[in-house]
Amino acid sequence: MFDHIERFYRPTSLREALLLLGKVGNRGRIVAGATDIVTQADRSTRFLVDITHLGLNYVRRNGRGWAIGSTTTMAALEDSAVIRALAGGILAKAASTCGSIQNRNMATVGGNLANASPAADTAAVLLALDAQMVVASSRRKRKIALAEFYSGPHRSVLNDALLKEVLIPALPGGGRSGWSFQKLGRTETDISLVNVAAGLQTDAGGRIKWARLALGAVGPTPLRARNAEGLLLGNTLNEDLLTRVGEAVRREVSPISDSRASAEYRREMSAVLVRRALRECAAQAGYKL
Amino acid sequence: MNSMQLRLKVNGESQQWTVAPGDLLLDVLRREGYFGVKRGCETGECGACTVLVNGQPINSCLMFAAQAEGCQVLTIEGIAQGDKLDPLQEAFLEYGAVQCGYCTPGMILSAKALLAKRPDPTEAEVREALGGNFCRCTGYLKPVEAVLAAARVYRTQAARLQEGRASQKAKRKSQKSKPTEGL
Repeated sequence: MFDHIERFYRPTSLREALLLLGKVGNRGRIVAGATDIVTQADRSTRFLVDITHLGLNYVRRNGRGWAIGSTTTMAALEDSAVIRALAGGILAKAASTCGSIQNRNMATVGGNLANASPAADTAAVLLALDAQMVVASSRRKRKIALAEFYSGPHRSVLNDALLKEVLIPALPGGGRSGWSFQKLGRTETDISLVNVAAGLQTDAGGRIKWARLALGAVGPTPLRARNAEGLLLGNTLNEDLLTRVGEAVRREVSPISDSRASAEYRREMSAVLVRRALRECAAQAGYKL
Repeated sequence: MNSMQLRLKVNGESQQWTVAPGDLLLDVLRREGYFGVKRGCETGECGACTVLVNGQPINSCLMFAAQAEGCQVLTIEGIAQGDKLDPLQEAFLEYGAVQCGYCTPGMILSAKALLAKRPDPTEAEVREALGGNFCRCTGYLKPVEAVLAAARVYRTQAARLQEGRASQKAKRKSQKSKPTEGL
């Protein structure tokens, strides 16, 4: 199936990897966990560049935020005490639903993002966490907000560059906070029909000061429901607000129908999952609706 | 076609094979005679091709052989100690957890990795660990019971080993102290 591959490169430094990627150009592809590349079986690929020996397998503090190396596996994320404690553990939870353990031992967070599937489970969470991507090529290194990273289904602004690490900035401080990751799939570890990541920050009186609602599999790219977030700000959460936020989400998503679910069903479930996520956030922040 | 050298350990034995750069680990292992590695869906869904790479279960149909360079690979052929079956294999036989048998190698390897990490798993943890191994015969009940039973055997063996070590240590201590008393 892969007899068109001419060379498999195993660079051991970022510099070497970037030089190789520059050399092989668009006939080359980056291999990290390989789970997407093998199933896609793109016959135009001639060269594979394995980036798992560049020392990009880490989770560490970065100032008041965090840095995650792009070749950190889903299994490593879900086992990391740091990731389990971060933002109510929603990134660990999302990682633990990315396929069976066999696939999570191979699949990497960088691959999940760079593959640019609209349904990528870690993408919704990292959007809600305002993540930035550190992207390197032989010419330059730059930072791109994840919100600016996607340009369409399975398309990103990465081109031939390498995703080096994911930066998560400090979480909003003060007051009380709640986080939630919700996923609807045929099974727990199946591809998402809809996924939602939510974060709330309230003042002592329960008034919402900061809100993030990110959704996957309901548009050409993972997306933030910014109108719905706007409705939350300055208000306290109650049943009426939940209904209005659900309505806003329904209008903000643009799902398609495919073999897994119809567009109508995905739209309906977007509102359901957002309401469910906000209830969980409220419970974590310690107040009743 | 370009070829490359692949050096790895399979079931504890060092191997050096000539492979194509696009070869998948599944194909290379079967070509080299490890037929316990089963070809199933070839899309990372069914888990029939599960092997352990550095102790972790992976789908060998989704891994390039070249990614296994320098790794320790364990297949079902390497589970038994000579003629002595692994407690997992014994338990699968005893509990009737094998019907057609196609999923069994992958299932036992997934279970092996689980028990190395969690010697005393809950039933839910066993079911989760086997979640990537599809079985169309058994309905999973018997394999789950078998893994839980094997976990008990492993724990008993580990406890005996520890006891044995402790009594040996005590023996050595008393042997050492005897001549001193004699003096």
